[in-house]
Amino acid sequence: MKRLLSGFILGTVALLLAGAACAGTITGKVTIPHARTLADVVVYVEAAPGTYPAPKTHALMDQKNLAFNPHVLPVVAGTTVDFLNSDQVLHNVFTPDKCANKFNLGTWPKGEKRSVTFDKTGCSPVLLCNVHPEMEGFVIVLQNPFAGVTDKTGLYTIADVPEGKYTIKVWNRKFLDVTSTVTVPKTGEAKCDVVLK
Amino acid sequence: MKLSGRMRHLLGAALVAMPLVALITSIAGAVPIFSRKYQTSCSTCHYAFPQLNAFGKAFQNNGWRYPGGDANFRKDEPTSLGSEAYKQVWPNAIWPSDIPGGAPVAVHAAGTVYMPMNQPDSVAKSSMVFPEHVQVFYAGTLGETFSFFGEVELQDNGAGGIDVGCPFRLQWNRHTNFNVVVGSLHFDPTPGDFSLIPSDINVSALASRNGWSAAGEMPGIGLWGAGNGPGGRGGWKYTAGMVQGQGMSPVGADKDFYARATYKVGGLGEIGGTEGAASKTSAFYQDNSATVGGYVYSGTVAGAVYSQREHLDAYAGTANVWYQSAILDATVMSMSSKIDGLADRKSLAWYAQGQYVIYPWLIGLLRYESTVLDTGAPSSDPNSETVTTLVPAVVSMVRANVKVTLEYRRPLSQYDARKTTEEHLLLRLNFAL
Repeated sequence: MKRLLSGFILGTVALLLAGAACAGTITGKVTIPHARTLADVVVYVEAAPGTYPAPKTHALMDQKNLAFNPHVLPVVAGTTVDFLNSDQVLHNVFTPDKCANKFNLGTWPKGEKRSVTFDKTGCSPVLLCNVHPEMEGFVIVLQNPFAGVTDKTGLYTIADVPEGKYTIKVWNRKFLDVTSTVTVPKTGEAKCDVVLK
Repeated sequence: MKLSGRMRHLLGAALVAMPLVALITSIAGAVPIFSRKYQTSCSTCHYAFPQLNAFGKAFQNNGWRYPGGDANFRKDEPTSLGSEAYKQVWPNAIWPSDIPGGAPVAVHAAGTVYMPMNQPDSVAKSSMVFPEHVQVFYAGTLGETFSFFGEVELQDNGAGGIDVGCPFRLQWNRHTNFNVVVGSLHFDPTPGDFSLIPSDINVSALASRNGWSAAGEMPGIGLWGAGNGPGGRGGWKYTAGMVQGQGMSPVGADKDFYARATYKVGGLGEIGGTEGAASKTSAFYQDNSATVGGYVYSGTVAGAVYSQREHLDAYAGTANVWYQSAILDATVMSMSSKIDGLADRKSLAWYAQGQYVIYPWLIGLLRYESTVLDTGAPSSDPNSETVTTLVPAVVSMVRANVKVTLEYRRPLSQYDARKTTEEHLLLRLNFAL
């Protein structure tokens, strides 16, 4: 019995490792000459073979210290995003973008959430707060989960990308979108640096 | 800049015709200092500067601090005047505090085009005064329990000179329910003190026989406090104070006293918070609520008009309703004036005003004013007549910190006698940074 159990455990681990071993990682750096910050650029795989159902777990965008957090949130089409108010002041979420049906969630108190499902691939609605006009956030609706958001230095990572050749796209709020290509190996890293102008 | 004789005459006439304003300290309170401190837009606190929205009033009622924890929202780093741990060392040390990290300064400027109507051909049809007044504000908080608000104001006096004023207030914010303020105090019975348009409200501008009016400010000491109502909605506010007195004599031997109290039903809590505040309403200029208030002022005015002292008592009732994009607002004030050797005089002034937000950047306003200088005078006395005026206006928020106002002042009663000195169009440009 012990031998059977050990064999089962080892076999399961082997299968898991084999699955993980069939996925690579895309890393790189986004450069924007003269930009004050390189953060919040989304680098993503435009189209990956297969279907990618939205996760059951809702994504979260918080409103805290008068800011949307995260500032940019990439999601798979069909994902429901919860908007949480963590401030002791009223907040609101609305978008003027048609692709997200110009929703307006009203206002709600601290600790409560309101939810929206984003189901149109290619839609990247801006999120605004009617109470605090300086607040701004974005949801980027994608076909697949292979996306990364740059940090302050412009570095990004996209993990668990299946082996293959892909078109990489870059989303940012100020500059024109950029396209590149990358070949992801069976295991290991593929590099993709991008310059935005 | 030297003005020609004709220009001086026109400006002088314009200023006489315009409602009296004792400098413009209570009119412009837009403070981009707070915008920078919290990295937030003017419209977070202002309906259309300087008029406050519900959150702006809550911010003010928290001693110019964000409700629910100012440190979480502040984006500047204050300069420490002592570690927190010195609270344990006190009384063997000075209680610790802090001051604003950056220079807490902002500038507001206004220019005016005044177009009197019904003037003879020899008089210019319009006069431009750019700038008409410039204010440098300094405001902020000092540690956890003190706050300050001051201004240096420069105003063109229409006679080739500049009037300078520097009102200032220091507050001890013991608790939202109890605060002490020292400095230049407002005692205007009209709600909020900040008028949306340049034209002074008749209730504020109503002058006693020796020249007192509720407009402007006086040095004094006061108490004030505010609190939320049931469910964290609406609430109460009181203010009471003792001020120097507004006589023309060098020192007012008698001090004046005033008190004001309001109660708000519905809407954002008077000291902020989010309890019970879920709503489909999300615009910064909306706050469905109703507020009523009472006001009393009692004082002595030493005269420049009459050599005897004038004892005056003023009572006022106020009410305003905010519903969706509209605000309805009214105040009635009765002022009784006693001067030894002269008949007592009782004045009555009231106004009703409606405002409507057509777009967030475009607001329409209509005000009706009625004033009787002496309700007890015989009908043959001009002071017994009811003087009525209509003021329609349009306000455009070109940007959150740039405002353009067009107002028309139309005398209704005694039109022929008043049209030359009162009927006018006025275009004003305000900006702040």
